[in-house]
Amino acid sequence: METIVIQFLHGLAYGMLLFLVASGLTLVFGMMSVLNIAHVSFYMLGAYLSYTMLKVVDNFWIGLIICPVLVAITGIAMERFILRRVHTAGHVQEFVITFGILFALNEVIKWVWGSENLSVPIPSALSGSLLIMGHIYPAYRLFILFFSLFILALLAFILMKTRLGITVRAMVSDRDMASALGTNTPFVFMLVMGIGSWLAGLAGVIAAPFLGISSGMGLDFLTDCFIVTVTGGLGSLWGAVVASFLIGQLSSFGILFMPRFAIVFGFLLMAVVLVIKPSGLFGEKA
Amino acid sequence: MTNRNLYLLAGITVGVLAVLFPHISPRFQLRMVTEIVILSLLVMTWKMMLNEGGLFSFGHAVYFGLGAYASVIAWLNIKGLSFIGGILLGGIVAGFISFFLGAFLVRMSGTYYALLTLAFNQLIWAIVWKWRSVTGGDDGLGRFPKPDLLGISMRDPVNFYYLSLVIVALCMSLCHYFSKTPLGNVVKGIKSNEERSKFIGFNVNASKLIFLTLLGFFAGVSGALYAQFQEFISASSIDLVMSTHVIFMAFIGGVGHFWGPLLGSGIYVYLSEYLSHYTDRWELIFGIVVVILVLLAPQGILGITKKRK
Repeated sequence: METIVIQFLHGLAYGMLLFLVASGLTLVFGMMSVLNIAHVSFYMLGAYLSYTMLKVVDNFWIGLIICPVLVAITGIAMERFILRRVHTAGHVQEFVITFGILFALNEVIKWVWGSENLSVPIPSALSGSLLIMGHIYPAYRLFILFFSLFILALLAFILMKTRLGITVRAMVSDRDMASALGTNTPFVFMLVMGIGSWLAGLAGVIAAPFLGISSGMGLDFLTDCFIVTVTGGLGSLWGAVVASFLIGQLSSFGILFMPRFAIVFGFLLMAVVLVIKPSGLFGEKA
Repeated sequence: MTNRNLYLLAGITVGVLAVLFPHISPRFQLRMVTEIVILSLLVMTWKMMLNEGGLFSFGHAVYFGLGAYASVIAWLNIKGLSFIGGILLGGIVAGFISFFLGAFLVRMSGTYYALLTLAFNQLIWAIVWKWRSVTGGDDGLGRFPKPDLLGISMRDPVNFYYLSLVIVALCMSLCHYFSKTPLGNVVKGIKSNEERSKFIGFNVNASKLIFLTLLGFFAGVSGALYAQFQEFISASSIDLVMSTHVIFMAFIGGVGHFWGPLLGSGIYVYLSEYLSHYTDRWELIFGIVVVILVLLAPQGILGITKKRK
């Protein structure tokens, strides 16, 4: 019973982390219909930047504020100088170009920080542990949980209640009409790309003390992150929430019960969902 | 000179060069050219899937890798299996898998098609990787027989090169021929308007399924040839990286062009070979090359010539 609770909480924390990355991906896809593969490089970049930040200022919280902003700037630059230029060429070209960026960015990261594993200490305020049902549980995971919930609430608030959110939702449902009504669509694209990469960078910073930093961290995360976005339905925020919860639990309990085949479960889930409902759990159009 | 004559001339030049190649170049070049020839068949099948069927495959390594594994396992376990027999078997197994997966895939289009192929790719890769008793897992499979063909030793790289050339040329012509048949036209019609093709009375899903099965078969043939070329096969021939490299090769050459796959795989093989000689960071340069290429020539290198005509 105890193990199950602990495993459940662990899955929850991992799922929330997945959600942070996947929500950015799904936001960008919903807006521009581009599956940005390089998104996971932003996640990596966030983690590595936080490592350097910790070396320079020795404060996790400053890193948490600054690093995602730096990542967001990278994302905005990528949209402005690269993606925008191939927008007319078609989605396939955009897709391929994000691939090229993924390759290049990963290599740059390896170049700058080297390919050995790095570790980031858990900030001292959260390094303790709590007693949950008589079991010791690290406080940092709870922090991940609550912080991600906070971000989720923030995102939902922005999307549902603010003028920016209304504009974004209008552009998701009909881009040309929104443009005709006077929305500055290229600017909103850039902004959404910035928010998306900010989320990925944020997830990277938070994940660094939890999962460690390695040159393979992006690829490990990429697959899970894609499963989440696709299973939940591309472009759907609530789909991302539900799917990241599912995948988090699946990988957490999968490792507990069938460690050898844990990697297969996610893809099995994704394949089953796609076969039954091609647009994903919450997706609107196939 | 008309366009048709230009194509004919290009074809004859490439053909003559390909036949003369072993006699005018050093040995290590021959190895690379053999690789280019084999890979170009794989890229061709990917390109056809996108170009004729409008389907962006993100898991092309499945057909390639399964073709390779099937033929290698057959050569290892069936005594006296001929060279062509093994290659055909690889193609048939890949075609069968393509048929089976295609049953799910034909209902998808666009991004969802790409993502389902990605899911299948990971699924099958994981199975191959974990099923050590059959596939050797990480260690891969090596030391399988390389049977002679009609008394000609395939261990001689020159002979192997000629055989690959013949098989690949045959498969490519068949692919090209397929796109001219009525069924090929139906597939193109589905790409341009699926609803309308359905309305006219064509069986959309069955046509797509046959199309996918055929391409799977040819990709499997290319995989089986590649296994004999490397004389070794491991799970890396079926992983996502392989799938992405196929996409890169197709895009470098130009998707809308018959000679695109050959040019694309040629540039890819030479680039990876020479860049990895000079620097460990060749993936960085490769990524930048892809980005710049797509920026400057969204339709690939051969797409540039097409625009100017």
